Amino acid sequence: MNWRRVKNWLGIGVIVTLSLFAVAPVLSVVVSIYAAGAAAIASLGGLATFLTAEPPDPFATSGGVGPLLAGTLYMTALGAAAGILVGFPIGIYIGEFKRDKLSHVARGAVNMLVEFPTIAMGLFVYGMFSMVRGDVNSVLAPLSRDLSSVLGGWVTWFVGPLDFYNAYIGAAALAIVMIPYVALFTASAYASIDQPLREAAYSLSGREYKAVFTVLRKVVWRAVLASFLLGTAKIAGETAPLFFTALGNHYYAPFTGPTGAVTLWIYEAAQSSYKVQVDSAYGAAAVLLTVVLALFILAKLLGRGR
Amino acid sequence: MLGLLLLLFLGFYAVSVAALIFLKFRWGMRVVGLAAVLILGSIAVMFAVYSAPALARYGLSLFTTADWDPGAERYGLLSAIVGTLISSALAIAVAMPLAVSAAVAINEFLPSQVRWVVASLLDLTAAMPTVIYGLWGRDVLGPALAAGLNALGSWLLGAEPVRTPLNLLTAGVLLAVMITPYAAAIIREGYGLIPRQIEEAIYAVGATRFEAVLIKLRYIKQYVAGGFFLALGRAMGETAAVAMVVGGNYVRLVLNPVDPGITISSLIALQFPNAANYLYMTPVLYAAALTLVLMGLVINGVALYLLYRWQV
Amino acid sequence: MNMDRKLVAVVAVAVLAVAAVGVWLMSSPQMAPSPTATSSATQTTATASQSATSTATSHPVLSGTVTGAGATFPLPQIQRWSTLFREYTGGKVVVNYQGVGSGAGQSKFLNREIDFAGSDIPLTPQNYEKLKGLVYQFPEIAGSIVVAYNVPEIAYSKTGKYLNLTAEVIAKIYMGEVKQWCDPQIKALNPALADKLPCRDIIAVHRSDGSGTTAYFTLWLAKAYKPWGDAVGWGLTVKWPVDQTGRGVGGQGNPGVASAVEKTEYSVGYIEYAYYALNKKKYDDIGGIAYIRNDNDGKWYLPLPEMVQMGLSAGLERYRQKYGAYPKPDEDWNAVIQELANPPRGYPLSALSFFIVWKDYSAAGYPDAAAKAQLVREFMRYVLTTGQQSVVEGYIALPQELAQIGLSAVSQIKP
Repeated sequence: MNWRRVKNWLGIGVIVTLSLFAVAPVLSVVVSIYAAGAAAIASLGGLATFLTAEPPDPFATSGGVGPLLAGTLYMTALGAAAGILVGFPIGIYIGEFKRDKLSHVARGAVNMLVEFPTIAMGLFVYGMFSMVRGDVNSVLAPLSRDLSSVLGGWVTWFVGPLDFYNAYIGAAALAIVMIPYVALFTASAYASIDQPLREAAYSLSGREYKAVFTVLRKVVWRAVLASFLLGTAKIAGETAPLFFTALGNHYYAPFTGPTGAVTLWIYEAAQSSYKVQVDSAYGAAAVLLTVVLALFILAKLLGRGR
Repeated sequence: MLGLLLLLFLGFYAVSVAALIFLKFRWGMRVVGLAAVLILGSIAVMFAVYSAPALARYGLSLFTTADWDPGAERYGLLSAIVGTLISSALAIAVAMPLAVSAAVAINEFLPSQVRWVVASLLDLTAAMPTVIYGLWGRDVLGPALAAGLNALGSWLLGAEPVRTPLNLLTAGVLLAVMITPYAAAIIREGYGLIPRQIEEAIYAVGATRFEAVLIKLRYIKQYVAGGFFLALGRAMGETAAVAMVVGGNYVRLVLNPVDPGITISSLIALQFPNAANYLYMTPVLYAAALTLVLMGLVINGVALYLLYRWQV
Repeated sequence: MNMDRKLVAVVAVAVLAVAAVGVWLMSSPQMAPSPTATSSATQTTATASQSATSTATSHPVLSGTVTGAGATFPLPQIQRWSTLFREYTGGKVVVNYQGVGSGAGQSKFLNREIDFAGSDIPLTPQNYEKLKGLVYQFPEIAGSIVVAYNVPEIAYSKTGKYLNLTAEVIAKIYMGEVKQWCDPQIKALNPALADKLPCRDIIAVHRSDGSGTTAYFTLWLAKAYKPWGDAVGWGLTVKWPVDQTGRGVGGQGNPGVASAVEKTEYSVGYIEYAYYALNKKKYDDIGGIAYIRNDNDGKWYLPLPEMVQMGLSAGLERYRQKYGAYPKPDEDWNAVIQELANPPRGYPLSALSFFIVWKDYSAAGYPDAAAKAQLVREFMRYVLTTGQQSVVEGYIALPQELAQIGLSAVSQIKP
């Protein structure tokens, strides 16, 4: 009996078994969420209602995640934009500039940022914000007046003096949570580039920044895009950073005040004793997963076109 | 006034980064890297400043005793520290083999059309609100683990070791389930970037499938390390899910994983909402967060040291 | 050379940009130092006008937003009231309440970040000192706490009987002194079930997060069984002696404790009545809830709403006899809940939740104080009158005398 062949089949068997163990639980959770969520949405008035209505109180017979979905989409989009804007260059620095001592320190710093309890990010943003709130509002108040006289009253829902709790600091907390993930993924991607390829990029491009941001980026764009998507998915599902920044809201309200999020509602409703609220939590989770899945599919389609 | 200064500082920082990148690229990027350190530094400084009252009052005993008596304003974080170490170690020990296997299986054994579907599904789990994981852990995973271990225990040892499903083991395994996709994503990324020539060379020398996998893993070992640290960081920082399954025992130094315990992150999440009612609880919780920072520092310091030793 | 000129150009542009921003900021009229205390609804279009004919059925024309935060115990009830109040005001007033915890609620309220706070326990002595004479606090809803157990051998669906327990035995369980279900002290209270009680370790489930449920549970234990008060005390979080024996488990939230009891054999735990009431069959199959003896009148009670209200009224009466008058909404209510716990009659384990509001919103520093005060006034009035008839299942309306205390305060909220 060829020992190498035995090892081969054993090894592959172990890998396959372990990977099933890895994938099965998470997939089963996803499946059960969809199953429970679909049933819940049906019982709460159908998908259209669910996507626009307010969350149900214990006596309600229908409800939805309307304001919560709006809050999540808004804060996730802003947070992802900021997270990518800051995390991508940091990742490049960590991955590309291996010879700098600072790059190793920065990598350590980013590794440590991943470890922080996400509730701490929210508290940090809240602390920083309470220092700047007065001054920020002194700029935003006239700005919002000027803009709304030009564009109309709806502007005050987005731009205006900020309350103690608002969607923007929620987005900031989410951005800080996302930065280390984007940075680490980007760093891995850039670090993996073959040396010959790298030398070619540097020699062909005029400026150094062109080499790094344009040419090399195209080599690893798939991995980088994956990191953006994963990071966005992650902050779409985050709860703790929003506790002390966005606070939460059960109603449609301006983004300059307390804002709701799907995850905050799930946190509240999943611990409720009332079936209608627990159901809506599962429905909300199903909606959240679907939105993220749509994002993934969209990115894939865009990628195909390239 | 302070706010304006802060905003001006941020504005200057951003402008100078953009300018430097165009002009002196290396320095621009260094300033960017500095940003990461500054963010970490500010958060750590905030923790330190807010936890000062607790450190002043309790000193080192805050970290060497296990106690939680808010009425008497007596606190000790040892139980949380040990709980964090145990649950994270368990989580990593379970997650790494799973993540590596999953990444390998997806890249090696799946046809390319299916590959993207499975990979995306795995990534999707990153978006799952952690509360849902907590509920699943509390209602499904915990009882299943407890039942399984008890059956095993009564068959092998004649005793049932697990008394309640809410314990450090459940927390560790739940964490493993949650962090596997992150580690798998990084490893998968690395696996996909292995150059064709290398792969051809491996098979050219006659390696079996399994041997090829092992060689490839060694080739991308920095990705495996990257996945390891990402997963470890995530495990140490996870709050909501762990809080629901860990068992909430603050006052006893718990070394047996099947006993209820507590971790630093879940301690903060569970006690913060009512901390303002007590005089010293808020600073103690910030001190707990600071402890997590210090633990991270130690772990990353060790990693950097090992990196230098291996690379040189 | 080229590089230097470009460098100069870029720096010049940056400096000009920053300078332009600075000039624009300086010219804006809002550069006065901002007030240190600003309220949360700065974009509230709050117009409040009394309708000309105030008959018994008409109500003032209101609109705007009210933000509150705090205790999670009354969260579903407040949400219900919020929906009803919005209908009542024709869709114009939105009350947004978030469950961030009693302590967080009190501190946010102190910082003027929210308009009212919800707190399961009254203002702490420190906070009360800071706010004496500036706030009203009053209960808005009651609930009760049940002691549930998971002992399949004596499950209610099997034996048709619930377990009898007293404060002393329960305290001893949570102190680790009563270790097994077959302990003679438990048997003595339950002669009918004595031979069925198994000799298994009791796993005592408590809350891992700070909570009003814990506060009222431990307060009752402290008042009804002196050694508990001496050794452990009471509060939102306490140090459970049973934890040190390894037979204590913490669950997060009421559902956490309920689930722990459900899934841990031979366990006992205290949960909100709502959770039991909505899942009655599940608990009756694995065990049940305990009859609690009120040591003051020696009777056994189940946590039914009438029994709880009896207890609250009796406790309030005891306060009146002790202090000469009903409690006022601006005094320290810590003394009040001491009298309401372990009352002379009725189910002894009841829980309350409080609202905390400012006496004078403009004095407190809220920018749109008049409108804000009007909205808070009307909402609170609604809660304490009509609201007491729309009680969500599992919660218990306040006895009339208790609701009156809040009402008397609410109408005096200024400006």
